[in-house]
Amino acid sequence: MSVSSSRKITQILGAELGKLVTLPLIWLALMWTFILNLVLAAAFTSVGLQGAAGTQSVLNIGLASMGYLQAGFIILGILATCSEYTGGQIRTTLTTIPWRGFQLSTKHLALAIITIPAAFIIATSGVLYTFFMMRDTAVVNEIDTMIQTLVGATGYLTLTTLLSAAIGALLRRTTPALVVLLGYYFIVSPLTRVFLPSIKNYLNYFPDTAGYYMYMPPSSDEINVLTPMQGTGFSMLWTLIFITVAIVFYRKRDA
Amino acid sequence: MLTINNLVKHRGTQEILSGISFKARPGRVTGFLGPNGAGKSSTLRILLGLDRATSGSALINGKPFAELHNPLLTVGTALDGSGAHRMRTGRAHLRWMARAVGLPRSRVEEVLELVGLTNAAGKRVGSYSLGMGKRLGMAAALLGDPEILVLDEPVNGLDPEGIRWIRTFLRERAASGNTVLLSSHLMGELAETVDDVVIINHGKVVADGTLEEVTGNHFTLEEAFFALTSEHAGDTV
Repeated sequence: MSVSSSRKITQILGAELGKLVTLPLIWLALMWTFILNLVLAAAFTSVGLQGAAGTQSVLNIGLASMGYLQAGFIILGILATCSEYTGGQIRTTLTTIPWRGFQLSTKHLALAIITIPAAFIIATSGVLYTFFMMRDTAVVNEIDTMIQTLVGATGYLTLTTLLSAAIGALLRRTTPALVVLLGYYFIVSPLTRVFLPSIKNYLNYFPDTAGYYMYMPPSSDEINVLTPMQGTGFSMLWTLIFITVAIVFYRKRDA
Repeated sequence: MLTINNLVKHRGTQEILSGISFKARPGRVTGFLGPNGAGKSSTLRILLGLDRATSGSALINGKPFAELHNPLLTVGTALDGSGAHRMRTGRAHLRWMARAVGLPRSRVEEVLELVGLTNAAGKRVGSYSLGMGKRLGMAAALLGDPEILVLDEPVNGLDPEGIRWIRTFLRERAASGNTVLLSSHLMGELAETVDDVVIINHGKVVADGTLEEVTGNHFTLEEAFFALTSEHAGDTV
């Protein structure tokens, strides 16, 4: 890669990062996700404190809010791409950076750069809260397991954010993207698992369920269809498929 | 030099551009006129790589927009509205653009000063008036000090002082050898600013020439415009 190309990549990545950090909605989404996660962690910890001592682990309780927490990251991803279509900004973006595939890829990279530390801090805050409140009553996991699980949770939230950004780029409007993604993650997927048990095994390979195996430590109580590595692989595959489809459409259609 | 050659655009079953051809030359201000829905914005969007042409070409110095090495430093564009997210500040909007092409932050302050937006640069774009939004769009167009300007309705929403500033500014840009293409529906304004005129109607060029040629036997450009777009639609001057 020439010096000129690598400088161009750095400049455009800087511009995409600049766009994200100067958009107040991005910070609002992260701040509310952080606050709501702590509230949920406090609620799950409170329930845990009422149970018998030594029956639950800090990780299980601290990450119980993950199902809800992902909503904040879905919103973050959608905002990152759909905000381009507010105020005609997409015209400015494409007349400044007309290489569409490259621009959208760089936007996803910038989003990942912001999401990874935010997801780690938010996921860790819930687990740390539970740890301090329940260290005398709950099973405290080994530090290696804790770190591995939190890295898995960070990875899952980051991939969910990137997938949501790709769906946002495909649909271009915030509300339809929110309806599709929140509808899938919070209504379609859970209900399918309950009402269509015959296809439950196939659902394990879908992005939300496969992602679950990225951060939940293997348990002897349940059947673990996928290992954490397999869960990561399937989640990454889904994310890459959606990003690729989004780029193909982004390149072909009128802005 | 901007070269539009036999541009055709279909949207669904409708043909919105039917073989548009014209040139905007360096050192000249070219006015691009037409009634609403005539195809002005579609032509400019294809020129800027935002939309795809069904056939034909729109070239900037002989290349499609996306093949320019550094588009912001070659072509300054201001289309409808400010082109900025409502929740971002004017300064932040210009800064990400500057960062994308490696321009220093001081250039952002220069263009803010140039368009008279320095005091409002820290405010969110959503709080801007129509005229302030236009000024921000102009600041973005001028950021890279480009040799070509493509402006859609640049004086729309500006106060008289702003209109005079734009007129003088565009004349100066053209005088120093730059290419300026602007669309407008304000005939009086345009007649005082442009050297060349292209008029389109129903997706076809109905007049293309110098201001004097297009005005022809009519008293004003406005009269010529109405004559060309109503009575003799389809006949090229």
